[in-house]
Amino acid sequence: MTTLLDPREFRVLEGLRFAPRKSFSGKIRGERLTQKKGISIEFSDYRDYTEGDDLRHLDWNVLARLETPIMKTYRDEEDLAIHLLLDSSPSMTFGDPPKSETASKLATALGYMALSGGDALYPRRIGIKESPLPALRGRSSFVRLNALLNSPTGDPAEGASLSGALRGFANSSARTGLVVLLSDAMDPEILTAIRAIGGRGHELFLVQILSDVEIDPDLEGDLRLLDAESSSKVEITANSFALKAYRENLKKHNDAVRDATLRVGGRYAFTNSADSVEKTIKEVLKREGWVR
Amino acid sequence: MSLQNLGALTWLLPLAGIIVALYLLRMRRRDVKVPATFLWPERTEEIRANSLFQKLRFSWLMVLQLLALGLVVFALAKPQTQQRGLTGEVTVLVVDASASMGATDIEPSRFEEAKRLAKEAAMSAKPGDRVALIEAGPNPRVVFSLSNDPRSQIGKIEGMERSDAEVDIGEALRLAAALVGTEESARIVLLSDGVFEPVKDFSRGKASLVYKAIGNNDHNLAISALGVAETGQGRQVYVSVRNPSGALLSGTLNLFADGKVIDSEKITVASGKTWGKTLSAPAGANVIEAKLDAKDLLAADNYAVALANPGAALRVLLIGKGDFFLEKALSLDPRVTLDRADEVPVEERGSGAGGTYDVVVFDGVPSIPVKARGVLELGAIGPESPVIANGSVRSPNFVSAEQSKLMEGVDLEGVFIDNAQRVKPKANGQVLANGSAGPLVVVSRGDQRRVYLAFSPLQSDFPLNVSFPIFIANALDYLGGESGTGLLAIRAGQTFNVAASKSGTLKAPSGVSSEVASNGATAAVRSARQVGKYNLNIDGKQRPVYATLRSDRESSIAPEVDLELGGGSVKAVDSPMRFADFWRPLLVLCLLVLTAEWWMFARKS
Repeated sequence: MTTLLDPREFRVLEGLRFAPRKSFSGKIRGERLTQKKGISIEFSDYRDYTEGDDLRHLDWNVLARLETPIMKTYRDEEDLAIHLLLDSSPSMTFGDPPKSETASKLATALGYMALSGGDALYPRRIGIKESPLPALRGRSSFVRLNALLNSPTGDPAEGASLSGALRGFANSSARTGLVVLLSDAMDPEILTAIRAIGGRGHELFLVQILSDVEIDPDLEGDLRLLDAESSSKVEITANSFALKAYRENLKKHNDAVRDATLRVGGRYAFTNSADSVEKTIKEVLKREGWVR
Repeated sequence: MSLQNLGALTWLLPLAGIIVALYLLRMRRRDVKVPATFLWPERTEEIRANSLFQKLRFSWLMVLQLLALGLVVFALAKPQTQQRGLTGEVTVLVVDASASMGATDIEPSRFEEAKRLAKEAAMSAKPGDRVALIEAGPNPRVVFSLSNDPRSQIGKIEGMERSDAEVDIGEALRLAAALVGTEESARIVLLSDGVFEPVKDFSRGKASLVYKAIGNNDHNLAISALGVAETGQGRQVYVSVRNPSGALLSGTLNLFADGKVIDSEKITVASGKTWGKTLSAPAGANVIEAKLDAKDLLAADNYAVALANPGAALRVLLIGKGDFFLEKALSLDPRVTLDRADEVPVEERGSGAGGTYDVVVFDGVPSIPVKARGVLELGAIGPESPVIANGSVRSPNFVSAEQSKLMEGVDLEGVFIDNAQRVKPKANGQVLANGSAGPLVVVSRGDQRRVYLAFSPLQSDFPLNVSFPIFIANALDYLGGESGTGLLAIRAGQTFNVAASKSGTLKAPSGVSSEVASNGATAAVRSARQVGKYNLNIDGKQRPVYATLRSDRESSIAPEVDLELGGGSVKAVDSPMRFADFWRPLLVLCLLVLTAEWWMFARKS
């Protein structure tokens, strides 16, 4: 099996798990503690006995001493739904290395981490015509995940923008959970999509991946710019004024994306497509507490 | 403001249309695929066009180019503004440096006022203007030629000097017209009081003529005559004082004989009248001076001198067909008053005393008996000549000359004579120079002195020889009788020659000495410009020279408002208008606009 990651990067991922701020109810028992009181061995609290309670959790010592039936409660362990959304729109093909390559590597790493943590991983490539996979669980599912991320992207979804695809995801019946979005966020409507995902109850982890093509474009002269994802065209004279205005707009856009993400209770990270996965994991995700 | 080339404006619309049309052309841009276009500003600068038309969009480059075009077209239309000032684009200032400009009705004098105006004009010249200045003195001279160097020009104006002489303004104006008469925008500015004879043969050409009158008063008394005459009652001195002004004026007239006062009288002269007096001259007095002490405006004509010695002044009559060289040589002698005629006037013919002329010169025409003291015969023989004609000879050579006063400094060796008279000397004739075919120069003494030259000067290259004026001066000395006192009376400003083997000095009445250069035989004296007594120190001998102004015209110092110049009338103007070209600043502005346009283009491309 060929993977996008090398063994050293797998070692970095060992023992790491996503650390969402929210708690989500799981479908099946998993390895993740929830706020829901359950029957696992993790003690949580005491409460008064009510009729019908399982007597196995009655604290007999307290009953003997105080003659009052007190029930011990335990935290439940459930699986977490992690939606791994990989932006595969045409704009991700820019950069050196291409943003799509960096995003795929990062998706492989994060997917592996989710599978290792016993979470339900829902990988999905957005921006292309592709049917979503069912939930993957356990390390054994890494093969399928790897196959998905290694497979060539299909044709771009006609007329579907990144924001449209995200809104479509938000409006779907997807299980509420952690949404990990790996994208360049190069869509003027991305803020609406972020708000939609947050409004649906998901916790959004957004990793914005940009390349030097976007950060410091090397353009000169009188140009007609063709949008990679739409039919939009812009005529510019690429001089110092135009480049300065572009950089200002890019900064405003990135700031707006970050603010929108934080406002819906999510997390935001920025990375260059030239940065390694190891660096992104260690210096961004671990340091900022995305994973533990 | 006016436009000299209005037609240039018709180019504005077509050229502006071309520029706008170029901006209507749509630019063909290079297609570049980018991840997203929404972050790029719609910012286009149409600096290159190579496609078909598009909607005209506002562009600062186009605005600047249209502005530059407008400035160029406007400059080509040659706009002019009207300004006050003496100078124009090309100006020749003619400064009158005559005696009347010494009048002090404008402090310190009219001449100084003219210099001040000339300096102002030089300083007010704009970049690109050219100014020249001609000093209209006894000999007009270009003080500085057409240039724009105010500092140097002002220094040269400071160095200008007036002379107590009549000047030929016409000559100065002709010189100015020769300098700028062919230029359309040229201007000749005459700074003068207008006190000169009407100028007839003058054409200003394409140049305009501006006359700036200087002076505002005419109060002046002038010694109009002073002379010594032998009469039946003995030697008499006559003197007259004229009042050419419009007011009654008075003063004190003092007469001196050899420096001693012989008469002093307070006089009052009515407007336009002349006061005169005759008195006996002291016996043996050589120099009679008259000094007028009056509160008038011109001092130069308050001094006059008359020399009692008969050789001190010579009236010469030239009979002939005209010889410029001979006339010039005769005029160089300060004592000579020259008249010219085709034949001898009846009253001068005959023999004995009583003639008007001291010397009669026959140039190439047969001589006849005259009453003059001396006769100079140049290639001419008459009944009283010291020679007898014996045919003619071609190309005789000079052989020898006698040692004599007449031939002193005269070298006939090498003189080419085309045709000469073959003569024999009469008994009273003394041969002073011999040629290969007989005598060349013969003299005779007696009641009447005669000098005979065997050829007419125009039949030879003698007039081109340095010996010619010396020969004429020696002949005049011989014929008129030398002034034993060595005194000279000249008109102030007159250039005269004296015999001098080496350079000497001329000491002015003010005490300032100037050098008089000699060519080895003669020295030309040019620096006696003011009236008064000079001392000429030549070859170790002191020779008094009396310079006077005797000019009724210069003494009539009333400034003229209307001048007769070249057959037309020119009115004096206070402050003439000038049209100043405006195209230079426009072109500079255009250059700045184009620089801004280039800078903007460089920034946007």
